[in-house]
Amino acid sequence: MIWNIAWKNIWRNKMRSFLVVMAIAFGLLGGIFSSAVLKGSSDQRVREAVSRETSHIQIHNPEFIEDNDVRYYIDDNLSKLESVLDTMKSVAAWSPRVKFMAMAGSANAGTGVVVIGINPEMERHVTEIHSLICDSCGSWFMSSKSVPVVAGSALVKKLGLHLHSKIVLTFQDVQGNLTGGAFRICGIYQTSNSVFDEMNIFVDRKDIIPLLNADTGICHEIAIRLEYPDKVKNVQHLLKGLFPSVLIQNWKEIDPLIGMMNDLMDLWLYLFMGIIMLALGFVIVNTMLMAIMERTKEIGMLAAIGMNKQRIFFLIMLESVFMSLTGGIIGIIIGVVVIWYMNRTGINLGSLSEGFEKLGYSPMLYPSLDLVFFINLTLMVIVTGILASIYPAKRALKLRPAEAIRND
Amino acid sequence: MNIISIEELRKSYHDSEVAVHALNGINLIIEKGEFTAIVGSSGSGKTTLLNMIGGLDSPDSGCIRIGDVDITSMKSHKLIDFRLRNIGFVFQSFNLIPVLTAFENVEFIMNLQGVKKEERRKRSTELLDAVGLGKRLHSRPSKLSGGQQQRVAVARALASHPRFILADEPTANLDSVSARNLLEIMDKLNQDEQITYIFSTHDQRVVNKAHRVIVLEDGMVVRDE
Ligand SMILES: Nc1ncnc2c1ncn2[C@@H]1O[C@H](COP(=O)(O)OP(=O)(O)OP(=O)(O)O)[C@@H](O)[C@H]1O
Ligand SMILES: [Mg+2]
Repeated sequence: MIWNIAWKNIWRNKMRSFLVVMAIAFGLLGGIFSSAVLKGSSDQRVREAVSRETSHIQIHNPEFIEDNDVRYYIDDNLSKLESVLDTMKSVAAWSPRVKFMAMAGSANAGTGVVVIGINPEMERHVTEIHSLICDSCGSWFMSSKSVPVVAGSALVKKLGLHLHSKIVLTFQDVQGNLTGGAFRICGIYQTSNSVFDEMNIFVDRKDIIPLLNADTGICHEIAIRLEYPDKVKNVQHLLKGLFPSVLIQNWKEIDPLIGMMNDLMDLWLYLFMGIIMLALGFVIVNTMLMAIMERTKEIGMLAAIGMNKQRIFFLIMLESVFMSLTGGIIGIIIGVVVIWYMNRTGINLGSLSEGFEKLGYSPMLYPSLDLVFFINLTLMVIVTGILASIYPAKRALKLRPAEAIRND
Repeated sequence: MNIISIEELRKSYHDSEVAVHALNGINLIIEKGEFTAIVGSSGSGKTTLLNMIGGLDSPDSGCIRIGDVDITSMKSHKLIDFRLRNIGFVFQSFNLIPVLTAFENVEFIMNLQGVKKEERRKRSTELLDAVGLGKRLHSRPSKLSGGQQQRVAVARALASHPRFILADEPTANLDSVSARNLLEIMDKLNQDEQITYIFSTHDQRVVNKAHRVIVLEDGMVVRDE
């Protein structure tokens, strides 16, 4: 019955409660919407980094990470590793890579690069570099010209080259002898990260291994894309158990900055919502105090007839929680609908979009939030209701029944 | 059988410069089944005395025993529970929870006592019938007249099976017809079910219904008949 009384008490002053509920609903809605935009763009950045640069999981020879020497390829159990990856359900695709440092040179310039030797078909299914080659920028290893490479636009520009130009790569083979070769630029890709574009140049693995003087099967790096990104930890753990001698890293470990940004974003969102809830908490405290002042005699009467302190406290707490939860649920429902809609249509950054496109960013923003956020938000709303009721409830309990019910 | 015995009860208030001796050594015994009116001029100490008996306020000295429990030495949280289980209250006003219906108001006190739902429903209906509100079970207090509200309060007070009912000026806000009507109902319930009533009043018409009249003056009992 206390629940029933609490709920009905809220609506005794309909206008006041309605205003408070709306303040909570729209306060939350604003917070939810901004959070979704922030989270959406952060997610987009992470998604891009994962799909273009890090993939979900990478496997290396531990020593390769230390000094990037071409001799440190994965030698233990490589074939077993490959067959395990083939059979694992949660692995959507994987790509073996040869990877080493080289000097890239044109007729008039030179720069250090990382050469990534890939199987074009396997790589396609792991990263989306192949899709970042514009129509007039060539193709992903579809050229009939001999020894093709796909280079980033920043590198091409830096070296003063263009599509179909010749580019010379100089590097050490596995025995430490200086070697190299001339390649033809058959595709120019562009991600949103120009540093990445300047550093990384893709070649066909089968073209490059002979030049390295190495066995045909070697690889320095295996990049893995998973079916479900949230399974990263599980898969990583499983692989670590099976192959203890190789280094198995997830995307957060490979690119700590992106990983940190992702984690900090969550923290920031909760902080942001926390501040909004704090402000709304004061509104609730104020409203509850008014409600209690108006009901001094009634509360005195309840105490007189035998309603104990815990129950009175509980009644007031319930009123406060019901009020915040009503506003919270309305805000969340509207928020979910708005985000769901915006997530489907995207927000066009309008006049800004041209500049963004030049930077390689998508001009569309897709707000998004996950279920966990809404669950935590609901909990925050309930906790705010509880906390906001403490002071008013204490005030109510100070009332002495004999004085509260006096007739004057 | 004594249900209330009061010895040398004193209470004074020191709010203003002069101390007000609201109760000046009261000695009283109330027996089961009595229908007692406490009368006296304004400021004579009626409310103070009833609040003491009801455990809503504590005396400076003296003792109040209900059955064989001395409530003046009881801890406040025990006292709340004691009130819930032993004393029924009817106040002059603000008796009812405005958001609940008459029926729910009566039911509520049994809910606090932990009575089962079926039993609560049955007793609420019976009691509201007994006070003549069988047809208004589901009206909210604001839809009832003052006299009807006081009758709901009487039903609510009875619902908890108290040892006695305290009513401080229950008729003060009522017109004379409603006042008489309320007293008749109280009187009838007193006779039928041996409910002990102690009520205070100014109202001469109401005093006539009482079986025992205690007159207070300056915090002392000056007549008891
Ligand atoms: N809380 C209080 N603080 C100060 N003085 C009080 C308080 N309560 C009662 N008094 C004083 O104690 C005396 C007795 O008051 P009480 O309310 O018991 O009288 P009463 O007989 O009920 O009067 P009435 O018929 O007007 O209701 C009065 O002089 C009153 O002013
Ligand atoms: Mg009085």
